[in-house]
Amino acid sequence: MEEKPVLIIGGGISGIQAALDLGDMGIRVHLVEEKPCIGGRMAQLDKTFPTNDCSICILAPKLSDCFRHPNITLHTYSEIKKVNGQKGDFTVKIRKYAKYVKEDECINCGECNAKCPVKVPDEFDVGLRNREAIYLYYLQGVPPVMTIDREHCLFFTRGVCRICEKFCPKEAIDFDQKDEDVIINVNSIIVATGFDPFDPTAITQYGYKRYRNVVTSIEYERLICASGPTGGHLERQSDGKPAKKIAFIQCVGSRDVKNNRYCSSVCCMHATKEAMLAFEHDSELKSYIFYMDLRAAGKGFQKYLERGEQEYNISYIRSRIANITEDQNENLVIQYDDPETSKNKKVTVDLAVLATSLIPRSGVEELARILNVELDDYKFFKTDPLNPLDSSRPGIYVCGCCRGPTDIPESVAQASGAAERAAETLFEVVIT
Amino acid sequence: MSEVRVGVFVCHCGTNIGGFLDVPELVKYALSLPNVAFTQENKYTCSETGLSEIKKAILEIQLNRIVVASCTPRTHEPLFRSACKEAGLNPFLFQFVNIRDQCSWVHMHDKEAATKKAKDLIRMGVANAVLLEPLEELKIDVNPKAVVIGGGISGMTSAISLANRGFEVRLIEKSEKLGGTLNNLYKLYPTQIDASNLVTAKIGEIEKNSRIKVLTSSQVLDVDGFVGNYTVKIKQNNKVQNYDAGVIIVATGADVYKPSDLYSYDGERVITQLELEKALKRGEVKAQRIIMIQCAGARTKERPYCSKVCCPTALKNALLIKEKNDDSQLYILYRDMVTPGTEFEDLYGKAREAGINFIKYSPEKEPIVENESLKVYDELLGEELTLPYDLVVLSTPMVARSDSKELAQKLKVPVDEHGFYLEAHVKLRPVDFATDGIFVCGCAHWPSNVDESIFQAYGASSRASIPMSVGYVTTEPLIPVVDEEKCTGCGLCEMNCPFKAIKIEKKEKGRKANVIAASCKGCGTCGAGCPQKAITMKHFTDDQIIAQVRALAEVTS
Amino acid sequence: MTAYNFEPEILGFLCNWCSYAGADLAGVSRIQYPTNIRIIRVMCSARVDPTFILEAFIQGIDGVMVLGCHLGTCHYLTGNYNTERRMKTAKKVIKKVGLDAERLFVDWVSAAEGERFATFVKKFTDKIRNLGPLGKETAFDNETLKSRLVAAKEALAQDKIRWLVGRERELVEEKNVFGEKVTQEEFDKLMHQTIEKEFAKRRILLSIDKNALSVKEIAQKLGIPTNVVLKNVMALESDGLISVIGIDGNTPKYQITRV
Repeated sequence: MEEKPVLIIGGGISGIQAALDLGDMGIRVHLVEEKPCIGGRMAQLDKTFPTNDCSICILAPKLSDCFRHPNITLHTYSEIKKVNGQKGDFTVKIRKYAKYVKEDECINCGECNAKCPVKVPDEFDVGLRNREAIYLYYLQGVPPVMTIDREHCLFFTRGVCRICEKFCPKEAIDFDQKDEDVIINVNSIIVATGFDPFDPTAITQYGYKRYRNVVTSIEYERLICASGPTGGHLERQSDGKPAKKIAFIQCVGSRDVKNNRYCSSVCCMHATKEAMLAFEHDSELKSYIFYMDLRAAGKGFQKYLERGEQEYNISYIRSRIANITEDQNENLVIQYDDPETSKNKKVTVDLAVLATSLIPRSGVEELARILNVELDDYKFFKTDPLNPLDSSRPGIYVCGCCRGPTDIPESVAQASGAAERAAETLFEVVIT
Repeated sequence: MSEVRVGVFVCHCGTNIGGFLDVPELVKYALSLPNVAFTQENKYTCSETGLSEIKKAILEIQLNRIVVASCTPRTHEPLFRSACKEAGLNPFLFQFVNIRDQCSWVHMHDKEAATKKAKDLIRMGVANAVLLEPLEELKIDVNPKAVVIGGGISGMTSAISLANRGFEVRLIEKSEKLGGTLNNLYKLYPTQIDASNLVTAKIGEIEKNSRIKVLTSSQVLDVDGFVGNYTVKIKQNNKVQNYDAGVIIVATGADVYKPSDLYSYDGERVITQLELEKALKRGEVKAQRIIMIQCAGARTKERPYCSKVCCPTALKNALLIKEKNDDSQLYILYRDMVTPGTEFEDLYGKAREAGINFIKYSPEKEPIVENESLKVYDELLGEELTLPYDLVVLSTPMVARSDSKELAQKLKVPVDEHGFYLEAHVKLRPVDFATDGIFVCGCAHWPSNVDESIFQAYGASSRASIPMSVGYVTTEPLIPVVDEEKCTGCGLCEMNCPFKAIKIEKKEKGRKANVIAASCKGCGTCGAGCPQKAITMKHFTDDQIIAQVRALAEVTS
Repeated sequence: MTAYNFEPEILGFLCNWCSYAGADLAGVSRIQYPTNIRIIRVMCSARVDPTFILEAFIQGIDGVMVLGCHLGTCHYLTGNYNTERRMKTAKKVIKKVGLDAERLFVDWVSAAEGERFATFVKKFTDKIRNLGPLGKETAFDNETLKSRLVAAKEALAQDKIRWLVGRERELVEEKNVFGEKVTQEEFDKLMHQTIEKEFAKRRILLSIDKNALSVKEIAQKLGIPTNVVLKNVMALESDGLISVIGIDGNTPKYQITRV
């Protein structure tokens, strides 16, 4: 009897690692990703701590491996709609949304989106630039094919245009495509749906969306990324001038009774990284990191922070920020309590970066309902205390940030761990 | 040597290449090159049509080298290699020439110059192709047995998981019983589960599983071999035996630093957090006024790291003590409260609500432990406090086992500056070693709490199971070949190889470099550095590269 | 080619995982750069033997770029540290030949740095265009330059320099068999001396390739002081590479010992 495959929900680094491990073991995998391309949050980062190596550079070979792996079937632009059954025998309905592009034909030449007249905010670049209605989710995205966003495409909204079709040299555009439901039967399920960044608009005292030079950390990552909307030049959104003084505000939405009581684990490290990257671009740059407790417990993390302080002109100031205001040049004035003197102090900076909380993905409650698994009080997937990769339902495993905010090395270790749990399940089923 | 017959396929890639280079001219040029027996232009060489044309030409025109001039080998080389293989041609007789990503796309406004560049690149590609040799990937069997070194929570979890997968496991433990550090712990956080219950549960699973053989009071004496074929020499009491295994997992845990030089540590009134655990377990903690000092001997010059588990442990123990005895007065002196994630932050909140006092101190003004009381400068209040105590508990960091370096040498794996094992890649391969077939998990890798130790153990098992599941490893075809006549056994190659894939061994003709194909990654570091030029790098030989350089320099029309 | 429309010929060695991928990304992003560069792909920049660089110059190529992964991010872990050391030595040898060492450009480009790659190419092409055709900065005629380059390539192919390059890390960072550590300064001095000696030896060997010559004749032909030639000739003789063929009056003539 042939072994059943494993379903992995989520195509970020955790999902990909689990898929590759299982695939390499000889086990078949269905990897379902809701976006048009796999890669997840890691693809949006510029560099990653504590080694500051380029994120997409270490991710891209894994994307490629996933894509070409004989044991992995990718279902991008897809969602899980239904799950029935039990450990060893789950029946799953996957809804594959139409991209209106033939994946086997599209060669990613770019003729189509050069002609498309629609402009909407680009999701991958978190609204920092616009994209067309026919688009590649991101430059190094896998599968490397275009997608038509039917919510904004003129043909779907108003019945006109179709100019992309005329210019496609491979006749790869197919407006007749339909959403498709695929039913698969799997042995076990791994949930690896990752996180969303918290939207700090409601924390009005920080001025997000009111002051143009206040950005979130994910926006900063896109700004400083060499393949991002500004080519890696850290320019202020207000006047395009380079930022020379940056304030990083930690715990925005985290450790916060009103928003999220927990700690997002990675922000002390990524703020340091972001400050370091800015310094590498401009050695006159000064950074302030306003924190509550410095959390750098991982391997090499403590040293990383020390390097930041000693070599990258970063001042760590232990103070929660009361508020941010703006001066007439749209510079930001940060008010804080000086830890040495306990007196109120101000510093004016060009750019403020809010280290926003890592929160569960929107739609996670619906997914938990479909999977019939429990979420904890914070809406992260609950796991068995003695078996921290097992969800509340046998045969369903959890790894990565959907379990709780964590960094890349832990996500990868957890993903391999979840793959192992899923593989164990297979063996159990075979011998009984 | 039979005649070399090269086929050159130049791709239009729609208009991506065809719109910027004179493709017919390139095809004509290619045909004029020595050894070229056939040329063709394709709209999309990578399409089914294009691939069939290649296969047809190999068979009908007896081509024995294929050159495709199109996009980039990084995406399409495997595809064309497969096509060659399907037509019966060794896939390593295929050569890619990049005339799109590195030519037509970057020189869109100078057709003449771009076409000339493409000609040069094709000429270089053909010159290389002529010198290509067929290469084989050998399969080396993998022994489906694992050796797990260390019988703590990581080792046990890993062993059980692999045994559940159907593999035989030898679990080696230095002390007399399994359990590791858990044997000394009281309740775990945040689950409040008794550590001993967890140990008992795991031992139960091990005993039930006939595939796991446990060797207590055992030590690893030596390790030999390579992935799939390791031999581990183990000494149990006084008996020495060899065990063969395909993979090895290191789960040796860590020690807790004993601060004999700090804070007037005496093991009675000033103790470590671990000693407190043991006392709590025995129900022997009667002290009322307890002060815990965090970062005792951690985040210092000697040990410049945060040991991760100490803050949650201190919080947990403080809460346990407070719950048992509401009159107790507890202080936690900290530099930063490290309670990341969801559960540990909750623990911190609970501790504050329970009335445990928190005092922030700075490393420049460390607390001073005197006979009856402790002096500490409270950074947040801005004043020095004198606190009387019954018990001072030092949260000291985990440190690498004293014999970690020794074991590392036997395994030929690296350790970092603190003695913790160094993984292949901090981010993407956290439980692998660079040396294939050996893995690491738990506190041997870095201070970890129980959760992390468990999922790292599963992670290491997953990684270790891959070569065992497949049953074989394929050797790297791009390996170095050593000319033993020239090799003087100087050892430079062995010294500079990142993967321990080339070793000096005693051979018939003396000490010579020996290639371990199963571990080699084909980087070429050894070849480019050999003082005797005794190494030939397959598929990227000196001759090939020189041929490309010379082909480039030829005068073109 | 006249002086003012000289277009340099540039050769690049790019590693599969980082710089070659970065170059591809420049292509995907349609970043334009000059057409002068031709790329040879290797799996790791550590594959680049210093003799390849010299071969390129022997063939008349005006500038060579070697681009690898950023230090610490090499796909093969430590490969590019070897590249760094080897190329450092290559530059010293190029300088010894008399060329501007800037004709060899070594740097690091990651797979995400398409723009960086293109900028490097633009800048380097401009620089070489300004430097002029290979050898313009020297006073040598083409034949002399070529023979110096050949001697340099052969010197880099011999065990003495290669052994020293390969051992640098161990000697400077760890200890030698006697438990001694060598400072970077001491090492550099030793390397300098070795390069001098090996280069001189190879030049001498080349000079007597066709005809046997005396020490004085060699010194004249090469423009090297007689005592230096004599020292090296003695060394070559004891190495068994050259031998006395005959004596012309009081003066021995040397030829290459053919096996």
